[in-house]
Amino acid sequence: MLKPAKDKLLASIFTNSPGLVNLWAKKADIVTNTSTPWATAASDILQGPVALVTTAGVHLIGQPPFDMDDPEGDASFREMPSSTPAGALTITHNYYAHRDADSDINVVFPVERLKDLEAEGFIGRIARRHFSFMGHILGSRLERLVGETAPAVAAELKRDRVRAVVLTPS
Amino acid sequence: MGLIQRTIEEAGIPTLSISLNRTVTEKVKPPRALLVGYPLGHPLGRPYDKKTQTSLLKEGLTLLRDIRVPGTLVDVSDRYRF
Repeated sequence: MLKPAKDKLLASIFTNSPGLVNLWAKKADIVTNTSTPWATAASDILQGPVALVTTAGVHLIGQPPFDMDDPEGDASFREMPSSTPAGALTITHNYYAHRDADSDINVVFPVERLKDLEAEGFIGRIARRHFSFMGHILGSRLERLVGETAPAVAAELKRDRVRAVVLTPS
Repeated sequence: MGLIQRTIEEAGIPTLSISLNRTVTEKVKPPRALLVGYPLGHPLGRPYDKKTQTSLLKEGLTLLRDIRVPGTLVDVSDRYRF
């Protein structure tokens, strides 16, 4: 079976079986940390700017899609202006079933809900840009993520003076 | 996702992740996480369920501001039906 078709089939099985995901998580070779980094949140951080970062493979329709052929995944990232309408976003990710997210991007990347919260005053200001990765990154691509692309996104968020980040998985 | 979160936090920006799986999250040890227990591909629940999406995002943002203990994982307060 071709790799993309096989990946999509597996994604569909995992999406419909939370128990299977749990079994996988217990056995999988996931990076295990013993401590956690910490940045103290000031009481007014929701005044913003607030940014979203997702690993759901979201990107602008015009941007290059994430690489679905490399078995180690794609460690690159996409930046998206926060003013982008939801209809200008798409998803490239064969490792989870995203039919529901295709119909409503807020299922994995709650950009419109964040705009609602800004409009109602629950948060002060949305950041200029949001960022997206593709999950399922392994081996040498994981080294690139940790050593290069994740720090690059952190630096861009700092440049935008972002004060609070919510991350969403796939 | 946890590795990216940790990198952003190390850069000095407070972060919170919405998490689908406690086992993975406990291994990665992010600074703060809201555990929702939804199926893969649905961290904010079902499509067009604005009410649940908004509640989850509000809860996550509030926790992001208020959690004071590093590594705190919080189960979502309401068992939103899936």
